[in-house]
Amino acid sequence: MVESLYKPEEAKGLWVYLEQTDGKLEGVGLELLGKGRALADALGDKLTGVLLGDGVEPLAREAISHGADEVLVVENPRLDVYRTDTYTNALFHVVRSHKPSIFLLGATPNGRDLAARLAARLRTGLTADCVDLGIEEGTGLLLGITAGFGGGILATIKCPNHRPQMATVRPGVFPRPVPEAKRRGKIRRLDVPVQESAIQVLERRVGAEADLTTAKVLVIGGGGTRGDFRLLKELADLLGGQLGATRVAVDAGWAPREWQIGQTGYVTRPKLAIVCGASGAMQFTVGIEGAETVVAINIDGEAPIFEYADYGIVDDVFAFLPALIEQIRRLKH
Amino acid sequence: MGAMAEVTFDDATWERLFQITGGVFAPCFSCGVCTASCPWGLVGEGKVRIRDLVRRIQLGLDPDSEESLWLCTTCAACVASCPRGVDIPEGFLALRSQAWREGKVPRNLHAVLWAVHWDANPYRRPPTHRPLWAKGLEVKEFTPDDEVLYYVGCTPSYDRRIQKVARSLVEILKRSGVSFGTLGERERCCGDSIRSFGHDAYLRRYVEGHAKLFAEVGAKTVVTTSPHCYDMFRRYYPDLSGGFQPLHYTEYLARLLEEGRLRFTREVPVRVTYHDPCYLGRRNGVYEEPRKLLQAIPGVELVEMRENREQALCCGGGGGRMWMETKPEERFSNLRVQQAAETGAELLVTACPHCITCLEDSLKVVGISGLRVVDVAEIVAQAM
Ligand SMILES: Cc1cc2nc3c(=O)[nH]c(=O)nc-3n(C[C@H](O)[C@H](O)[C@H](O)COP(=O)(O)OP(=O)(O)OC[C@H]3O[C@@H](n4cnc5c(N)ncnc54)[C@H](O)[C@@H]3O)c2cc1C
Ligand code: SF4
Ligand code: SF4
Repeated sequence: MVESLYKPEEAKGLWVYLEQTDGKLEGVGLELLGKGRALADALGDKLTGVLLGDGVEPLAREAISHGADEVLVVENPRLDVYRTDTYTNALFHVVRSHKPSIFLLGATPNGRDLAARLAARLRTGLTADCVDLGIEEGTGLLLGITAGFGGGILATIKCPNHRPQMATVRPGVFPRPVPEAKRRGKIRRLDVPVQESAIQVLERRVGAEADLTTAKVLVIGGGGTRGDFRLLKELADLLGGQLGATRVAVDAGWAPREWQIGQTGYVTRPKLAIVCGASGAMQFTVGIEGAETVVAINIDGEAPIFEYADYGIVDDVFAFLPALIEQIRRLKH
Repeated sequence: MGAMAEVTFDDATWERLFQITGGVFAPCFSCGVCTASCPWGLVGEGKVRIRDLVRRIQLGLDPDSEESLWLCTTCAACVASCPRGVDIPEGFLALRSQAWREGKVPRNLHAVLWAVHWDANPYRRPPTHRPLWAKGLEVKEFTPDDEVLYYVGCTPSYDRRIQKVARSLVEILKRSGVSFGTLGERERCCGDSIRSFGHDAYLRRYVEGHAKLFAEVGAKTVVTTSPHCYDMFRRYYPDLSGGFQPLHYTEYLARLLEEGRLRFTREVPVRVTYHDPCYLGRRNGVYEEPRKLLQAIPGVELVEMRENREQALCCGGGGGRMWMETKPEERFSNLRVQQAAETGAELLVTACPHCITCLEDSLKVVGISGLRVVDVAEIVAQAM
């Protein structure tokens, strides 16, 4: 087997890749900082975030408040958007010169692309799509537990001889740590040569509907809306959220199938789900099981949805929503 | 058939398909009765072309449609009419196992199996919440000197609607003087979702572990709420306790009725029709017990739907279809509630959690009023 570019004895520290898009950190990077903090503490090691982009240094503070001891920042106009070649080259350079022992990345579309390239170039292994991470007792090796339902079941994978020990983790697997604004850490700007990309971005198009599974706020309509989603849309826009629907609402043709949440729809994990006029059948509630806060509005005080809700409002959606929207508007001003 | 297609045969593919399906398709002589009896034919032309698929496997050709593989509800309507006794759904599930290995699996199903793995139920609910269905009922943990172990199941434990069925059953058992207990928080999924998704590698491991649990607690007579759990235990679990006897609750209650332990004291004047769950009827031959129970209730008038017993129309919820979306115009349960409405019954009675969910949902979609869906247990409890 080929050897990695540096040896276990030289390697030190746990790194987390901080993916950003349009000047915003991807949630999975912060989730990995939370888990990374625990792993680094178990190893008595330093937790480092790596941030690439153009004009992204302000994001480093956010990473520190989420648990990083140090953030390495590489800024260059050529890194304005993700391109396989520029990002791989730049990151390769940083890893080679600083020799981390463990390197974790989010299994986002770009993260998967980057991690695989990087691992091949570093001549090391990559445990892709982990659903959990741990540290082996005694050896301090990274243990990556991977999803195995494409054939096997659960596999625990380690990488004893090659460095860095790399793993990607799906978004949403680990909870996001509570930020501590007062945490202190170092921000180090690195000078890394970035050559011109072979890839030219002709046009960027962002899909009209973002993925429901990653939405932070969901406003969900059920049979009780009788097909009128206008107020729900207004509320969703105000909160920067997206619309979702129960199967009854979708079957009735009030919402597209892509909005369906539940057992045969999407399983979501928003911070906030506002459920309007849905009875709370289990086939629906499995789709919001992972929501942090559930607010339910239903005219029937006996509706099962209230058992899942953190806040329950027994009222007509059309009476309650206008008042809520007005209040939020006022608070925003 | 449209334009002629060129096909290439090779021995390796033939051998692989034969191994995977365990040769179940070998006896088929291509009569086509299966295709004609499959309920998918009622909602669309050529959705599941069973005979074609069986023939392809016989010849050593991979399935030409991934979709039809996942449509099968394992209702066994085809099996009931096949003159060669081919267990078609088992063959379909075996082909699904191949799809798992190739990663060609419908969205969502991975997550369901993970839920079973982590939470012991397919709904991602915490295992610690499992016993909450019995709140206020005083249901004790099973001990070996109990007459029966009541295996509640995942849907009756967690689904608010189906919890009512489990609660009714507890009432019935108590009033009949049966000593029973449940596994409480230790109860786990029977594994029906794993089996019906066709993940045979995980299934084997899962069943082995679960069967040991039954042996450990000394469970012999195990009464289930759901025909799916019953089918799992009866057909796929080894007997590790020596005398392991799974029963569907309708069988057990019919026995209690015969022994005079279950007695009706109240009249329930109502016209009902009974929907045979596939997993109780066609798959396990239990047709008469639920009917005997219903007919023994004073005041109950049982009228049959056009298609009953062996001919009963599937609700569409078997074979893992509870976790795969079905277009509204293709749901068998929409047709079934119409058949029920035609009998003039006020209650559509059935004995399976999935049937209740599908049928109730269809009442909303089709917009039928004056008809309610209830479980046999609910009406029996009402009459005691
Ligand atoms: C195989 C299968 C899969 C399924 N998968 C899914 C799934 O993925 N997602 C899903 O959602 N469902 C699914 N279902 C359907 C599920 O069982 C329920 O039927 C459905 O979730 C009910 O939707 P609902 O709550 O919008 O409608 P209803 O049950 O009709 O409830 C409407 C609610 O609105 C309230 N209401 C009425 N008017 C007002 C008003 N003016 N203001 C406030 N409240 C009002 C009522 O009190 C009632 O509680 C599935 C069913 C099956 C059989
Ligand atoms: S088991 Fe039922 S759904 Fe499946 S192929 Fe046979 S008839 Fe069709
Ligand atoms: S009914 Fe049986 S014998 Fe006839 S085509 Fe179908 S599987 Fe073959």
